[in-house]
Amino acid sequence: MSLVSGLTGFKTLTKREILRFLRRPRNTFVPPFVTNVLYFAVFGVILGDRVGEISLADGDPVPYILFILPGLVVLGAISNAFENASFSIFHGRWNEYIEETLTSPMPYSRMVAAYIVAGATRGILVGSLIAVIGAFFTSVGVARPLYLLAFGLVVSLLFASFGVVVGLWADDWDNLTMMNQFIVRPLVFFGGVFYAVRELPSPYQELSFLNPMVYMVNGVRYGFLGVSEVDPVWSLAVLTGLTAAVAGLDVALFERGYGLTD
Amino acid sequence: MTAAIDVENLQKRYEDVRALDGVSLTVPEGSFFGLLGPNGAGKTTFINILVGLVRRTGGRAEVFGHDVEDDYRRARDAIGLAPQEFNVDRFFPIREVLQHKAGYHGIPESTAGERADEVLRRVGIYDKRDTRFDWLSGGMKRRFMLARALITDPDLLILDEPTAGVDVQLRHDLWDLITELNEGGTTILLTTHYIEEAERLCDEVAILDSGRLLTVATPEELMDRGPDRITVTLRDAPATVPDLPTLAAGEREGRIEAVELDGDKLVVTATRGGLVAPDLVRALDRAGHEIVDFDISRTSLEEVFVEMTREGGGDRTAEPVAADGGELP
Repeated sequence: MSLVSGLTGFKTLTKREILRFLRRPRNTFVPPFVTNVLYFAVFGVILGDRVGEISLADGDPVPYILFILPGLVVLGAISNAFENASFSIFHGRWNEYIEETLTSPMPYSRMVAAYIVAGATRGILVGSLIAVIGAFFTSVGVARPLYLLAFGLVVSLLFASFGVVVGLWADDWDNLTMMNQFIVRPLVFFGGVFYAVRELPSPYQELSFLNPMVYMVNGVRYGFLGVSEVDPVWSLAVLTGLTAAVAGLDVALFERGYGLTD
Repeated sequence: MTAAIDVENLQKRYEDVRALDGVSLTVPEGSFFGLLGPNGAGKTTFINILVGLVRRTGGRAEVFGHDVEDDYRRARDAIGLAPQEFNVDRFFPIREVLQHKAGYHGIPESTAGERADEVLRRVGIYDKRDTRFDWLSGGMKRRFMLARALITDPDLLILDEPTAGVDVQLRHDLWDLITELNEGGTTILLTTHYIEEAERLCDEVAILDSGRLLTVATPEELMDRGPDRITVTLRDAPATVPDLPTLAAGEREGRIEAVELDGDKLVVTATRGGLVAPDLVRALDRAGHEIVDFDISRTSLEEVFVEMTREGGGDRTAEPVAADGGELP
């Protein structure tokens, strides 16, 4: 008998989680591909020509299709990061095969890290796929690559972490759908994906800044376009702190056995 | 020698239900230990506490000296579990499932594949290595459950109803395999509804009922506790039960529970009938009865088990006992 050490367990579970979605592209990559082609075609090309250009807080006005591209990247990234973690944990609980992991000597913190990393990986892959789709519809550059990378990473990690909580909390499939459809998507849609928040009248403009999605969308927009309605440094700091807090909650829930043990 | 499993006053409550009510038990390293009990006795709860799927409400539980909660990594590192339910990852072929399980236990990818092949060969389903679990037959699924428990080369193998629903041939194959593992030094904890299985395989058995430990003993000791049935066929049927001093003394001492006459057959129900029978034969001979046939029917472990766990029949006020059958200090 040898005491388990190192990161073998973490690497194995991360690999398992990533292979699970890579081997099922029809379930993981095709739907966001189709949806985003439609978004770009309808909102970007057909409606975008009528909307014209959008002015942000600083910098030159940008064409509408270019304006919505970062928001769609965020929407795809966070939805998929959230869905991957929540589905995988809930499905494992539902069919009880999560016990393969739970009965192992792997520390709970590494189990959580594996679910978050795998979920975030899917989020980043889907976000990248959407950016590539966007590039077929409009000429898009990356003004602040490090910011883009940092925001892409942190929003994916945040929603994968959030997905872990929901995967543990849900006791039915409807719970997962409810969280995605009635909480995540509305927040994203009111988070400045399709319009500039500063164009809203008071008090909707002020209220919008209570929506964390505004900071995520604007952070990624800053990475692509170099312009943002909020301070990107402050946004990144707050989102990083939030991610650390939710990931810490994940670990605490695993250690307590919430949703996992009797 | 450190005990493979050592629990003291182990408790688990679900609101008003006491799934485990102060169980104290020691399973020696290297032993083949059976855990028997009717449905709802607490067997699976006991196992799940050891592997971390159920949190205890009170008491102490250790595996090879490691507390199952405070030092869970070392405790779980020693355990291979084949649960009753098929809790298997259905997304991947079974060989990959085994590789993943090995990885969770810290076995590097470079050797996990070899180990997976080895255990699949050992349980006889290597040819199905690229098949997903759902496509295996019922018997193959049971074999796979054992393979998954073995992939980490555990020091303690926990088998929860490993032969439930399998045919006779497979049951014997599995018995041979786990006996071989036990002879190689692996401690086995077995729960089963097949009493014959416990009687045949186990060094010791514990009987649980309603969350309480009723007894711990060897199968032989348990069978000695039940009454045996001695049937003596006489040449000439007597009109009444022969008046023999041996029978009277046995009844006084409590060794003989009942004496009945059924035509030419004298039926004596006695504890440890093998010790009563010679005196009975001699006494009948001295009284002038000619014996034409003689039979001792030994109490089966199953009958002892049923008697102990029958509603109202078991010793529900029994104090927790140690694995050697004695009272705990």
